Amino acid sequence: MRNRENAILEVRDLRKSFGNNLVLDGIDFEVYSGDVISIIGSSGSGKSTLLRCINQLEMPGSGEIYYRGEDVLVRGVNVSEYRAQVGMVFQSFNLFYNMTVLENCIVGQVKVLGRSKEEARERSLEYLNKVGMSAFVKAKPRQISGGQQQRVAIARALAMDPDILLFDEPTSALDPETVGEVLAVMQDLAAEGMTMLVVTHEMEFAHDISSEVFFMHKGKIHERGTASELFENPGQPETIDFLRRFRTGRAF
Amino acid sequence: MEKLSQLIIDIGRLWEGYGNSYLRGIGNTLILALVATAIGCIIGFFFGVLNTIPVSENEHPVKRFFLGFVRVIIRLYVEVFRGTPMVLQAVFLYYGLPYITNNALRFSSIWLASIIIVSINTGAYMTESVRGGILSVDPGQTEGAKAVGMNHFQTMSAVILPQALRNIMPQIGNNFIINVKDTSVMFIIGFPDFFAAHRSATGATYLYFPSATIEMIGYFSLTLIASFLLRRLEKRMDGESSYELAAADPLVMTAGTYKHAERSRK
Repeated sequence: MRNRENAILEVRDLRKSFGNNLVLDGIDFEVYSGDVISIIGSSGSGKSTLLRCINQLEMPGSGEIYYRGEDVLVRGVNVSEYRAQVGMVFQSFNLFYNMTVLENCIVGQVKVLGRSKEEARERSLEYLNKVGMSAFVKAKPRQISGGQQQRVAIARALAMDPDILLFDEPTSALDPETVGEVLAVMQDLAAEGMTMLVVTHEMEFAHDISSEVFFMHKGKIHERGTASELFENPGQPETIDFLRRFRTGRAF
Repeated sequence: MEKLSQLIIDIGRLWEGYGNSYLRGIGNTLILALVATAIGCIIGFFFGVLNTIPVSENEHPVKRFFLGFVRVIIRLYVEVFRGTPMVLQAVFLYYGLPYITNNALRFSSIWLASIIIVSINTGAYMTESVRGGILSVDPGQTEGAKAVGMNHFQTMSAVILPQALRNIMPQIGNNFIINVKDTSVMFIIGFPDFFAAHRSATGATYLYFPSATIEMIGYFSLTLIASFLLRRLEKRMDGESSYELAAADPLVMTAGTYKHAERSRK
């Protein structure tokens, strides 16, 4: 049942400003197990800041975030422990440059989850295989392409067995030709029931994988709905205007 | 030509009488420079890490106050030891300690005193170098580490410091070479380094120029070898320039790429 008690993540009246610039202006939503929520909107609408506030890379100005019913913004919460359960994939990959592909996936499991090296290695190989990167275990991040780095970053996040994965524009920094390989991996994850929150500019992709889509505008969730509702029958003029700029001729 | 042969003869005479003293001096200089640079690096890394612990508003006030206090102390340490000549620091500490404690405490050995003074001095420079090294690492690395749940200590030790260390290797090399040369000022408290050998040799023979020639050649050879070895070390730290493939990558597709999925969700 979709009632608040079994939400994985609950965000209440989240606000954040940078100086005088109000970036998040009262965000409310819940995420349930298996949800794939895409967040779309123009640059500067607060999408990335929202994700960064959720795993506390930015501190929200006010509001509450509940993870499985626990308020994670109060003083005294072990933020690292919480972050280990909320995976994050960044626009700029952020793989550790001093480690090989395999070590990137192992280090968090050993240091944070306390797994043995062997177990961590096995799991890493499993997930690297899943994202098609098992051939590159010995490569350093700077030696592989952006799309490959992003797939490793996804494997690294998956290896921590997260409850939910946050994607912050995972394909925006990629060459067009490597976008597809990353989206394919994400598509598989969605199909397997991974809970995902995806900030993206890939509208077709959002349309295909999302159980719900948020359109953000001026720091608010301006419109939300299922993929077909929002893409095919947007209600707000801002949403219509935004989507028009993305139309490529193909019908959604 | 005549002068040159004269110089060679004089150097030969000096070496005959004081060769051992020069060689022992070189050994002592190298040991002091190596040990002090190593300890200086440890001080630098320790303070550099303390300096960069993030202070967020969400932290407990006592912890925030404590971190602020630590930063002020480190700042003072750096400014004082970077801002005064090492030769003076040596005199100040070596004679100051018995003076202040009424001879209850004094440096029991010249070695200990010299190592402490040069280490503290190097540490002041290294603290700033390490801070710079940490700042030079892409902030995304810290975010990546935090996102997998690492705390500050884990982030530093596993991700940031190894990269910072690589970035400041040229600085460490600099400090080592500076130490090889600048430990010569420790003659002021009687440390028997390479330059001290010059002082004792010329005191008896008055062969200032020939002895200075030996010293010039000696110091220059030391620093040249050190530079060479440091370069080698940096190369090794950079690791292999290629990597082995375990098999083929099955997911790389050609351009065009995104395929619509069968819609599995409604």
